Order: sequence, then C-alpha cells, then structure tokens
Amino acid sequence: MLFKIRTLFDSMAVTPLYLYLFLFLGPSNFSNSPFAHGFPSSSSDTTMHTNNWAVLVCTSRFWFNYRHMANTLSLYRTVKRLGIPDERIILMLADDMACNARNKYPAQVFNNENHKLNLYGDNVEVDYRGYEVTVENFLRVLTGRHETAVPRSKRLLSDEGSHILLYMTGHGGDEFLKFQDSEELQSHDLADAVKQMKEKRRFKELLIMVDTCQAATLFSQLQSPGVLAIGSSMKGENSYSHHLDSDVGVSVVDRFTFYTLAFFERLNMYDNASLSSLFNSYNPSTLMSTAYYRTDLYQRRLEEVPVTNFFGSVMETIHTDAAYRAPSRKTSGRADIKTSPDKMVTDDQIKTTTNSNVLDQSSDQKQADQACPFARLMSSFKNKVQTVEEADSLVNYGLVTMIPLLLLSTLL
Amino acid sequence: MAEVSEPAIAETSRPEEPVSEFDPKSMRKTKPGLKRLILTLSVLLSFLLGFPFLWKSVEIYRAPLPFREIDHFSAQLDSAPLLFPCHFQAILIGFNSKPSISSDDLQFAISDLTSQTPQCGACSASYTVSVSVDSDAICAVDFDSDDEAVDELLESTLGGPAGERKVYSVVVVNRDEDVRAVVGKYRHAWISGRVSEAAALSRAAEIFVKVFVNGGKEEGLIHGEFMPVGADGRIVLSFNLLNANPNDGVYDWEFQKIEETVLAPVIEALRPVANISVESQVLYHTPKFSFSYWDHKWSSYIFNTKDLPFFVNSNEWHLDTSVAAGGRSKILHFVVYVPSADEWPLLLQLPNGEVSKTNGFISPMWGGVIVWNPEDPGDTPDSKQPVRHKISYQDLQKVFEVSMGQLRQLFGLKSDNLFVGSSGTSRLLASDRGFTLWELDVLSRQHTCFNLHSCATTLGSLSRLVQSLPRMIIMDEIGKQVHYSLEVAKLAQVNASLGVYDASAVASRQARSLAEDAFYHPSIMSVSYYSFEHCFAVYSPFFLPVSMHVLLAALREWRRHKQENKKYLAWKTKINKAS
Repeated sequence: MLFKIRTLFDSMAVTPLYLYLFLFLGPSNFSNSPFAHGFPSSSSDTTMHTNNWAVLVCTSRFWFNYRHMANTLSLYRTVKRLGIPDERIILMLADDMACNARNKYPAQVFNNENHKLNLYGDNVEVDYRGYEVTVENFLRVLTGRHETAVPRSKRLLSDEGSHILLYMTGHGGDEFLKFQDSEELQSHDLADAVKQMKEKRRFKELLIMVDTCQAATLFSQLQSPGVLAIGSSMKGENSYSHHLDSDVGVSVVDRFTFYTLAFFERLNMYDNASLSSLFNSYNPSTLMSTAYYRTDLYQRRLEEVPVTNFFGSVMETIHTDAAYRAPSRKTSGRADIKTSPDKMVTDDQIKTTTNSNVLDQSSDQKQADQACPFARLMSSFKNKVQTVEEADSLVNYGLVTMIPLLLLSTLL
Repeated sequence: MAEVSEPAIAETSRPEEPVSEFDPKSMRKTKPGLKRLILTLSVLLSFLLGFPFLWKSVEIYRAPLPFREIDHFSAQLDSAPLLFPCHFQAILIGFNSKPSISSDDLQFAISDLTSQTPQCGACSASYTVSVSVDSDAICAVDFDSDDEAVDELLESTLGGPAGERKVYSVVVVNRDEDVRAVVGKYRHAWISGRVSEAAALSRAAEIFVKVFVNGGKEEGLIHGEFMPVGADGRIVLSFNLLNANPNDGVYDWEFQKIEETVLAPVIEALRPVANISVESQVLYHTPKFSFSYWDHKWSSYIFNTKDLPFFVNSNEWHLDTSVAAGGRSKILHFVVYVPSADEWPLLLQLPNGEVSKTNGFISPMWGGVIVWNPEDPGDTPDSKQPVRHKISYQDLQKVFEVSMGQLRQLFGLKSDNLFVGSSGTSRLLASDRGFTLWELDVLSRQHTCFNLHSCATTLGSLSRLVQSLPRMIIMDEIGKQVHYSLEVAKLAQVNASLGVYDASAVASRQARSLAEDAFYHPSIMSVSYYSFEHCFAVYSPFFLPVSMHVLLAALREWRRHKQENKKYLAWKTKINKAS
C-alpha cells in the first residue's frame, strides 16, 4: 500500500490540490480497525504433544511451474517417510503434473534430473486438487470452518497437543502468495487465520516454511505465540530454482526445498537432529537468497527441538498396567511409563539474525533539490508520506476529500 | 405629463434622494417567486427521503449477539471456579467407648487435605460432614464375607433412591484383624481392622478427598489430553482386529456378542459424559513399523517401551475410515494386533525387565493397542488358502478387559485397582460397567468444568472476532446458537450448584457443542470483504455527482431567493420612506 502511494506521488503533476489533500488529514478512520490484540494466556507448556500434522500447499498451476509441484511432493514423501500418516497430512496440489499432456514420463514426477526418485510412485493421497485449491479453502482448512458435508480426510482435525507443519510454495511477492494465478493470499489474512487457530487451541506449535520469492514477508504479520516461521528469501530477493531437467523440459526443484531435502535424506525416524541444525544448513551463497526465520514468537530454543517434532511422527505412549476385570481380584505392577524421544542437545550455533522490512530512506538525493523551494516541499511531503503507518487511512482521507473537491469544481 | 413623469423624473433626476431611486441591482419591485425554490427543494427532499432506503439496502445483516452476557459469563467462570456441593458421612462401628471425635474433627481433617485454592470440579467450601456411631443396620453387615458381597449389602443399607442427594460414606469397623480399606463400586468405602479413632479419622478423610473427590489421583484436575470427547459431544470407538500376515492364519472375532455383553453397559454408564457409538473392522496385511528381537530367556520376540511410539504403522493401518463420525467427533482406535507367525509370540518388555501382563499401551487422544498372541500359529499349511480361525469368546473377553482398562486410561483414570495413599493402600472394587459410580461422578464434574470453560473461551473468541470485523455478515443461525449456548450453560451452572452431576455434564456438553457450532459456522470467513472502500467505490459514481449538483442547485436557489427578498425589502423600505 505504501509503495503504491509513493509511486502515485512521484508521478503526479504539480497542482495545489494535493496540498489541499495533505491539509485535510483528519482523525476519522474508515478502515477496519486493527484486530484486537488480546491473547488468552497460552497454556501450551502444560499440554502434552500428542500428534503431528502437515499441511502442504502448492499454489501454482501450469506446466512451467512443475518445480512447485515437485517441491510439495518431495516434502510429502519426506514427511510420510518420517512417520506422519496420510490421515494427518493435508496435501493441496493446484495442478496435475503427473498426468499432464506435456509430461514425457506419464504418472511420474521427479525432483532431480537423475530421475532416481519418482515422487508420484505409490500411496499419494491428494486431498485438495486442481481448482479446489483456493484461498478460501486454504483458510477454511486452517480455521476449521467447513460445510458439514466435507469429509474428515479434508479437514485439519488437530487439537491442542498437535504440532503442525505448514509448507507453502508457489509464486509470491511482498506480503502475498499467489493462488492459481488468479487470487492472492495476503499476509494479514494468514496472520488472522493463525490467530484464530491459536484462540481455538488448534495447535500447540506451528512451523511455517515458505518457498517463494520474498517469502519472509508472508509471515511478517504473525503475532500468535508458538509459531516458528522460515522463508526462503527476504523482502526484495527472489528464490531460484535449482536446476533444469533438459529431458522433462522444465526446472524440477527449487533451491530452498532441494537443500531441505538434502538435509532430510540423511535422517530416518529415529534420529534426533535439531531444528537449529536444519536452519543453519542453508547457505546463502548456494541458495542465492537469504533464508530468514523468525523465532520471536517461539519459546523453546531451537537447539533443543528435534526435527521429528514437526516432520516425523511422535506418539506419546503410556503402558497399560492392568486389565480391568469386574468380579475377580487382579493386582498389577506399578509401572506407568511415558516414553518420549531422546533430546540431544547439539553444539551452540550462531543464529543469523537479519532484520527485514525496513524501508530505507536515503536522503542524499534530496540535497540537490534543496535550492528549489517547491522541490523541498515535495521532498518533505514524500518523507512524511513514507513515515505514515496507516496507509489505508490516508487513502480514505483522500476519498473523503474528494467531496469538497467536487464541490469546488462545480462552483467554479 | 408632469404628474406621471414627475415621480419617474424625480427618481432619476434627484440622485441625492435615494428613496425614490430604483437600482435594479439591489432592488426589485415584485416579490420573488417561490416556484424555482420549491422545485429545487422538492428534488433535494426526494433525495433526502430516499437516502434512508439506500442505506438500509446496503446494510450488512448482522444478527445481534449478546456480547455483554458472553463477557459476563467468561468473567464469572474465571473469577470463581465451578464448585459442587459434596456431602460426606462417616460411620463408626465397634468402638466401645463413646467416640471422642465429632463432625468438626472430620471437617478439620478434610480441609487439611484439600488444597487452599479449590480447583474446578472440586467441592465447594460448604460441604456437609456428619459422623454417626454404631448404626444398627450397618452392624448387621457381615464384614467377614467377600468384598463384593459386603459392597452390595452396604449399598442396600446406605444407598438411597436415585433422586436423593449423593452422600459419600466411609464405614470404619473396629475389629480384631489387620487394617484393610476397600472402596466399593457405589459411593461408599469401608475400613476394617484394628484402627484407632484418630487413625480412622485421617484415613477416612484421605479416602474422601483423594478418592471420592479427586478420583484416585493426587491432583484433582484432569488434563485436556485425557478428555477425548469431540466438540459435538460424541465419541466413536473404533475396534480394529489387525492380521499382520494373513497367510499364517486369518483371525476373526464375534464382535456383536462381545459388544452387547461388555461394551453396552459401559456406553450406558458414560452417557452423561459423552454420546458414544461403536464401530469395528478387521484388517489384513498390516505389519507393524518397529522391530522386535528374539529373546531366549522369555523364548519369545520382545519389543520394548522405546519402540512403542513407532509401533503404529500409519501407512498400512487404515484405521480412520469411519463414515459415521462427523467432522467434529472424536475417534478412539482400539487395535488388537495379531502378529505374524515368524514373530510369534510377541511380548512387550518394560524398562524394569519384566514382561508386560497386558501387552498393551495407549496414546492419549488416539486410542490403544493390544498385542494378542494366538495359542499356536500352527504349521504353515501347504494349501494356498489361509486357515480361518475365530478368536474364542474367553480370549476375546480377556482382550476386552484390557481394552476397558485402556478406555479408563484414556479418560484419565487408572486401569489398575489399587489406591496408594499416605496412610495406606486401599483396594478399589471394579465395576462391570467399566466405571464405578464415584468415578462417574468425578468424570461428570471434571467434564462439566472443562466443557463450560471451553464454551466460555469459544464464545469469547467469537465475540472478539465479530467485533473486530464490523462489516462481516452474521447469520441468524449463529445468533440463535449463541443464545441457546448461554442458556444451556446457565442451566449447567444451576445443576452444578444443586449437585446434580449428570444433568450438569449433559448440559455443559450441549453448551460446548452449540458454542463450537456457532464459532465454526462456515459463513464466518474473516477474509476482508465488503469493506467500506468497496461500498464507496461502487456507489459514489452513481450518486456523488448528481447529489452534488442537486445540493448546489438547492443552495444556489436559496441564496438567490434570499438575495431577491432582500432586494424587494430594500425597495419596499424605500417606498415606505418615500411615502
């Protein structure tokens, strides 16, 4: 929004009417009030981690976006291999690459040009396919507001002990993710959906992984506790594909997902690699972008969290001591066991803290115009506009001041 | 003529006398007409009259929600935890001298054991305590006989009709034998043996607080992961018989019979807590995920507790295939796993080296698994057809006893029947309904608490969401559901204060399910839509220019009318001055 206003004023001709507009910044507010920031006290520390869920979303269609499908299917395979069952995975694929008419290898999807791994091999259960992948359906999955006829396999049936992995890939930009080439998921909508999930205790912890251009902007508006997010690139950077498969004819995998998979192929279900080792395995030079993650909403330390907390299957199990026999007398042992995966603390690694979403103002260019008073005025005006927080309300003020302008023009 | 032209000449030729001068710019001779003004004003008026209709037609329909009541309800639950009235009764038998303890002593002992801050579901501060001595009817009970028989006799004397208030009793019998404490299936317990009054008092108080009120656990509160009731108040118990390798022999069961005998009473008993339905299926080719190794000592294949999280092979075990379960019900899977012949027998080893007696484990909110080893897998037959076996009724009963234990564990209770307290171990009698009456009371209280809290938070979230999006449509159905939910919640609170545990559990379950229906109504989509900018952008090109012109026209006419009026008045004053 702010970006649009800047270009608007840059290209404007000189008229006194815009000074008029500037003078009319009043206190009225027409936009929707920002969402109330009242969190219920998070008791996520006291609930037990009972299950893992994965929501894997591929949002692009058309043959040349083959790599996004391959990304999602690779992660699906990884997550299944590490133990999450189909009934706890929601897979949303916006198009069908395996049976596409342009696919030289029908019913096969590869993520590497060596074609070693067929991602579409067996046991692939796609929950939302083709045109069912829309922003509305995605938000319905997250918030749980389905029509009554929607089957259980299409619902996210998580509870307050669930850890959810949310992976999104496709084409994205500053604060949005493109769905199906026709609509957008905005970052504030995603933040609002996550906030509602937290209020309804639909997750204990949430890991968001985004592999798009300017991915870090998509989760910039999040404010719910218990959320960890990593994106493949920061604002202003693109995410690139890894390599082109000359046989299939398109790029088959993105860099971020490629290196993620490289990390996971070394693991199996019993491993204890931590999240910090995953996050630190991303090298900006090989990724050609900076993988940015935000941990300010996440209480636990990344070195202590094993990746199987999100990517694998963990069942808290309790042994049954005794049968419950009605008339007889059966005593039992006292062994109540709770099993939990071993937590291995890895070495301390340096976490790259990068700051994004700062609009830099370079005031050097203003020096040249200081002589001209109008240019001075315009530059100070531009400065003011760029520091305005509520760009929406500014536009609304503009709309309101249209009325006196119309008045003026009819009187003249 | 001079007279005619005189006044005219006089007006024009005598500029020093402005009274008779006619200045067309500031004066007029005739009264200004009202036609133009009426015309423009009527158009303006029609616009103004139409404006409310336009406003009404673009108004967003929002069913009124009782925000204040919701806040009041949440605040009420937060400030004062829901407490139930309890009645305790201690009966002392066989103490020769007049007993020196009174009900105050017992009350003191009980309050000593209860925590300072009462948790939700505990007894309210105004519980009643009574101590009585040597009641004739109780004396007649023969404490030498079987525990079950004693229990039945006590129930016939102590237990009142169903409608009466629920009293928890402890009978202390001073006899010449070792001290034993048994908690019965109903709402009473007894301690018999060589026990002094003081010891009896403290033991009775402990039984009251730790067993009857807290359900046999140290802290009375059941955590959320042991409340497997779905958001619509229903649970589906899904029983699955898994044949790991059917080539060694296919095992089948007579589920109908065991359901009628074992499961039906349990479902009936749990009716206030949840609406339960049962499904069953038999699956083939379902190997487990983890590995086991041969152990010579036990001469069987062993898997230990570290393998338990990896036992369930979710890829091959297609358990969640229920079509009856709605979107918000909870499914609990009970799996009976028959291992293949080359892993027979398969036993679970505990960390202390012992082999498990039940061969079963649970996972909270998911269900339970029991490994059942058939008698003898027999030789691998040469024929292509696998041999069909049916699990015998006795074996199936044993398996279902373990399942009952697992169901109790899933609800947060213990599957064994011993209570170890600070003053000794008590034996808990088992009920053929799966849950004893006092356990059902505990479950009802805890679930009422949990459901009401969940209802309050859901309604609170809904009201916050609705208020933060002032332009979102709220349908009538949502308003009705919220109203009903609040009413039923109030009913639950009233029932709780009266001590009617089952009715309050049922009402609280309904309140929670209505609140969840309202919150999860599919029409509430918080995607920003129907914003003010949209409205403005759609309607302003139609109305803004036209209304601008109408307004300006009216204003202009009004101004002109005033001007003309002024002119006319000026002329009139001139004339008056002149004459």
